[in-house]
Amino acid sequence: MALAAPAQGHNARAAAGGAPRASLAATFAPERLGAPTTVTFALNIDPPPETAPPPLSQIDFSYPGNLGFATSGLGLAACDPLELQAVGGQACPANSRMGGGTATVEVSFGAELIQEHVVLELFAAPSPDGYVHLAILARGAEPVEARIVITAVLLPGHLQIDVPVVAGLPGAPDVAIKQIRATLGGALTYYEQVHGHLVAYRPRGIGLPDSCPRGGWRLGAALAFQNGEQSQAGAVIACPQRRGRRRG
Amino acid sequence: MLCAWAPALASAASLPPANRAHSATTLSVRDEGNLRFVRSSGSTLIDEGHATGTIPGNVRIHFLYNGNPNVSAQITIYGAHGTIQGHASGRLSSPTSPNPSFSGTLSIAGGSGRYSHARGGGKLYGVFHRRSYGMVVQTEGTLHY
Repeated sequence: MALAAPAQGHNARAAAGGAPRASLAATFAPERLGAPTTVTFALNIDPPPETAPPPLSQIDFSYPGNLGFATSGLGLAACDPLELQAVGGQACPANSRMGGGTATVEVSFGAELIQEHVVLELFAAPSPDGYVHLAILARGAEPVEARIVITAVLLPGHLQIDVPVVAGLPGAPDVAIKQIRATLGGALTYYEQVHGHLVAYRPRGIGLPDSCPRGGWRLGAALAFQNGEQSQAGAVIACPQRRGRRRG
Repeated sequence: MLCAWAPALASAASLPPANRAHSATTLSVRDEGNLRFVRSSGSTLIDEGHATGTIPGNVRIHFLYNGNPNVSAQITIYGAHGTIQGHASGRLSSPTSPNPSFSGTLSIAGGSGRYSHARGGGKLYGVFHRRSYGMVVQTEGTLHY
């Protein structure tokens, strides 16, 4: 089944002082009021010319507080972050998977900066405090094979990600994130018991509200770097056109 | 499941009709509703179903869960003699469980028909089925009308 074209928002970047500039794009796909959707954040970090981006310490994605993240039906089981780190995504229950994505990181090899492609897998993690917690597995293969677990927590209107320090080669700077693109929801397969049989189904997804705020939905990303610098970026997803005006 | 219940006090029952209209009744209430998902709007789920207990009837609930474990709900009970409006707030536990439970307090603030001046309060317990978006909700408390 073909899905509607994703609704997408981009925006300008902002930075404080000499901090890296950041830009954010966000999409809802599909974008129908009152219906379930997937949410994608795409973040780019651009350091000042001739410099490497500093390592991140935290990313805080903000979104309208009335989006139905907590009522999405995603994360019906929890994945143990220690097992995720030791074994990988296959250690996690299928019903704990909440999304996926990719990232690009920069690794210093002598004077050279090498870009590494990283695969992200998002899982629900045990909750110590009543909030939904996530464990994000970041896997890179070339040039450095690595498996890192990043923790995050879903707060009302925020997804707060704590980025650990990832050491580079001895004597080299720490690994830095250049781009990150993550989707919550999407083509996930969950399982449930029906009359004694395990039956696969697709979780409903993140509910959009019945109405769209004037000017569209505003999303943002606040970045904190290990060196204390901070950057911000925002994106606006335009309201869907009224159904009667749609074509095709 | 809740067991059978009994009204604690029905002070108006023995009064003549002329006085009954202006007198207050106090009930100890226990109701349970099995609710099915109707629709959602973002972080608000709307469920409906039938309630059994002290005040049987249909129940409609607007359940707000935005990621904060402190959840809230607007509840309307459509009884035989009018509607009762309530507001509940509570705390949801085990958010990654398929069926997290919640408990909290319920306050009654008006309604219609016989319950147009309803007041009261009590406790609310529930289980939220995250696959079906249905709920089982139990209330117990005191109702003045």
